[in-house]
Amino acid sequence: MKLYLALIIGLLSFMSCTKVIDVDLNEANKIVVIEANYTAEDSMVRVLVTQTANYFSNDPQPVLNNAIVSITDHLGNITSVPFASDGNYELTNYVPAFGSEYTLTVVHDETTYASTSIMNTPIAQLPIYYEFTEGFFGSKEGYLAFLSYNDPLESVVHIMAILSKNGKPKTKLNDLTLADDQLTNGNVIIRPLFAKIFDIGDTVGIELRTIDQNLYQYYLELQSLTDPSSAAPSNPDYQWTNNALGYFSAYSSSRQEVIIQ
Amino acid sequence: MKILFLSLFLFLSFTGNAQKFTLSGTIKDASNGEDIFGAVIKVKGLDNVGTLTNSYGFYSLTLDTGEYTIIYRSNGFLSQEIKFNLIENITKNIELTMPADVLQIQEMNVNAEKENDNITSSGMNVTRFDPKSIETIPVLFGEKDIMKTLQLTPGVKTAGEGNSGFFVRGGGADQNLILLDEAPVYNASHLLGFFSVFNSDAIKDVSLYKAGIPAEYGGRASSVMDVKMKDGNLKKFGASGGIGLISSRLAIEGPIVKEKGSFIVSGRRSYLDIFLKLSKDENQRNSKLYFYDFNAKANYKISDKDRIFLSGYFGRDKFGFSDQFGFDWGNATGTLRYNRIINSKLFSNTSFVYSNFDYQFTIGSGEDAFGIKSSIEDFSLKQDFTYYLNKNNTMKFGVSGMHHTFKPGALTGDNDSFNEIVLDSRYAMEFGAYIQNDQKIGARFNIMYGVRYSGFDLIGGKSYTYDDNGDKLTEETHDRWESSSYQFGIEPRLSMSYVISERNSIKLAYDRNYQYIHQLSNSTTSSPTDVWMPSSNNIKPQVADQIALGYYQNVKKNTYQISAEVYYKKLHNQIDYRNGANLLLNNLVEGELVYGNGTAYGLELMLQKKKGKLTGWISYTLSRSLRQFDDINEGRVFSARQDRIHDLSVVVMYKINKSLSLATTFVYYTGDAVTFPSGKYYVGGISIPYFTERNGYRMPDYHRMDVGLTWYMKESKRFKHNLNFSIYNLYARENAYTISFEDNSQTGETEAIQTALFKIIPSITYNFKLK
Repeated sequence: MKLYLALIIGLLSFMSCTKVIDVDLNEANKIVVIEANYTAEDSMVRVLVTQTANYFSNDPQPVLNNAIVSITDHLGNITSVPFASDGNYELTNYVPAFGSEYTLTVVHDETTYASTSIMNTPIAQLPIYYEFTEGFFGSKEGYLAFLSYNDPLESVVHIMAILSKNGKPKTKLNDLTLADDQLTNGNVIIRPLFAKIFDIGDTVGIELRTIDQNLYQYYLELQSLTDPSSAAPSNPDYQWTNNALGYFSAYSSSRQEVIIQ
Repeated sequence: MKILFLSLFLFLSFTGNAQKFTLSGTIKDASNGEDIFGAVIKVKGLDNVGTLTNSYGFYSLTLDTGEYTIIYRSNGFLSQEIKFNLIENITKNIELTMPADVLQIQEMNVNAEKENDNITSSGMNVTRFDPKSIETIPVLFGEKDIMKTLQLTPGVKTAGEGNSGFFVRGGGADQNLILLDEAPVYNASHLLGFFSVFNSDAIKDVSLYKAGIPAEYGGRASSVMDVKMKDGNLKKFGASGGIGLISSRLAIEGPIVKEKGSFIVSGRRSYLDIFLKLSKDENQRNSKLYFYDFNAKANYKISDKDRIFLSGYFGRDKFGFSDQFGFDWGNATGTLRYNRIINSKLFSNTSFVYSNFDYQFTIGSGEDAFGIKSSIEDFSLKQDFTYYLNKNNTMKFGVSGMHHTFKPGALTGDNDSFNEIVLDSRYAMEFGAYIQNDQKIGARFNIMYGVRYSGFDLIGGKSYTYDDNGDKLTEETHDRWESSSYQFGIEPRLSMSYVISERNSIKLAYDRNYQYIHQLSNSTTSSPTDVWMPSSNNIKPQVADQIALGYYQNVKKNTYQISAEVYYKKLHNQIDYRNGANLLLNNLVEGELVYGNGTAYGLELMLQKKKGKLTGWISYTLSRSLRQFDDINEGRVFSARQDRIHDLSVVVMYKINKSLSLATTFVYYTGDAVTFPSGKYYVGGISIPYFTERNGYRMPDYHRMDVGLTWYMKESKRFKHNLNFSIYNLYARENAYTISFEDNSQTGETEAIQTALFKIIPSITYNFKLK
């Protein structure tokens, strides 16, 4: 759908016009936002607890420093995630058990927010493949990088791929590649990543994250929010009990790099 | 309700023993032999005695033995008065002529006092146009378009800037049954919605029913748009066409056998892609974007009582971006009809109808290419009868059966990364049976009442059940003709009028409509990829109940027509998506749906000037359209997107002199209801909008003025031509098409960005007619 709207506006670009306008938006009540990641790669749990702000506010995001954060493994062992700084809570050397479920709990202002996530096994990448392209939809010409890996036949896989150029990851929502293996189960996957076109001499990096289905769905919903043609955008389904915003993701990664020659 | 109908049927008057005879026949246009639909046949001196021609120009009127003067009349034609001594059944075929000169036009205006059919007819809420009457109205890119003209009438709202899609009385865009010679058209727009699929050269007449929908129609919840193609000139060959900036068209018509059979073929092709050649970008230059369509129709009179018609439409949109991406879609329809006048009172029509809509994507080229295809295909058989029981009662009854094939999607290709995937086809039989009577009671009261039975049998394929979260519970496979769910509805239809005087009347209508197939769209622009879904064990049919009341008045010898209508509509089993629904190639798409209800109500006012140098209308609609879903907006009532509270259209056509005609339109409406954020938060350092309510905000109000000037150049007996200049959006109002929120890449501040599609668009079209 996004493509369809892009077509309309793109093709009529010689007639259409855009401008910045004033829109009077309401001020919603402040809601707790929790962004929690448990990365297998460095065995770290990172949690950021903040609040919503007015839409046009340019102040730094309001952080919550007095929360109590803990993580529970599939055996029921509870480990505290200590406060670090500015709304950040961090736990180091927390070794993952692949295939098991973790629960993260945040208590703030006498309300408990909890969310679970499954730590999936990492998928090894094949070497990055790249190919010269003459530009696509008006983008410049250059090299397009392809993610490749063997999709495991026996399991349902959800991935998030993050492209980086010379060590700088492209983390904008629409630059993230999300995929499940509904159409590709058990195949050798060779998938172009369109977030960046490269030149000779650039270092291409790809981080392939194996995520769980909840997070995959959550990110799809986030991405659909950036589609201006959506008739009725709405908040992604709540990942936390007591309706905090944000998510908890336990994930594993594999990385590849190549220099374009 | 049943008792009411029963008693009304018992009301049918079988009075007296006086001998009765029937006057019947057909009414045609003398210039080309086209049937005239809706022509009036009246008995002079008797109030409320008369009838109308049906779609095939047939009429029948049964009267007591005696001498009568019959008036034959239709809009735009000179009326005829003929004396009959009715002592036996009489067949009289009439040809009405158009006024040839000023004298005759004056004569027509003198008779115009009688032109108050809008007051006296029982049918309410019908909007009728023939393409000729709107040819001077300015439109986007100069391509005259009957669907865009309908949007300028009360209760009909445009789907968006320059768009031919529409909403009727608060209903959804998929709730309009669009028929082209009885064949349903699933996607009635070309070129991203800016053109309708109806080539005005091929169209004879369009009727839009908003309420009191006759029982012969069924299948959509909100309205019926019945488009009739021209039959072709029975008398001589002719051609007409036009050359415009964006597209050109040509139609050829003529007799197959003079006075017995005729044909018309017409075609259209757009060439917007020429503009792409001006682009600096090579890929844009190599892109294609065009549409074409063909209409063809032939009819042949086998005998005085038998006639066959064959008509078809084929249209296609093609879009391609270099060799990397292709997207094309289109409709095909075909109708074969057989008319038989069984006797002077009974008219029969049998139709075989085909309709198909499909789209396909191709991505990549060569070995890596893959494609996605989807289609919906219908075959149907219909039998309709009109029975002219007596001078007070005209009955219609009939049955229909339609077979649907839904192919929701298939992914095919050589690309190794993708597994071929073909979604399960689904099949359904849709049935209808109806009976309706149009009855005159006394001199002032007309009532049309009927009932339609509709049934929908989903057969073959797989059926699923889901839990509350939309996750699959069970799956069952059915044989090709085995039923997996059967749903039906009883649809009462009623419309009545009371003529207060020759100048004013009141009308009341009630109807219930069932809709068994549903188009799912989650976007502000209609897209060919919006899927059609059948009702099933999970999806209940949509049902609409509407009651409408209207007051009509003509003033100054019918020069001005004033109408005021109010309506209240309940919509049941409305459909929407869950958040983040996966619609692409998903067999379990029913699990992604949620269900709710809707309410729509409004007041529609119209002032129309029908005669004189200056004609046109002012139309104003005050309305609301609300929805309530347990799973959306925390169960609270919210505005539908098309909940435009005020909607005003002004159309003015002015004949400056014999060769110049000026027309202007002005539209104003409340901005669409939209969802904007009421806060924000960050995920991965990216700001994410936080929403508190569905459609709680408004787009800026929309307004626009267009002007058009038509220059009728010197004509000869056989050749007529004109040039049409028009300007769309005269004062260059930047109407918001989308409003998006983005972080400014320089300052990092969040901004609201409005995109407007068109500023001023001038255009020029040359039209000709060879007779």
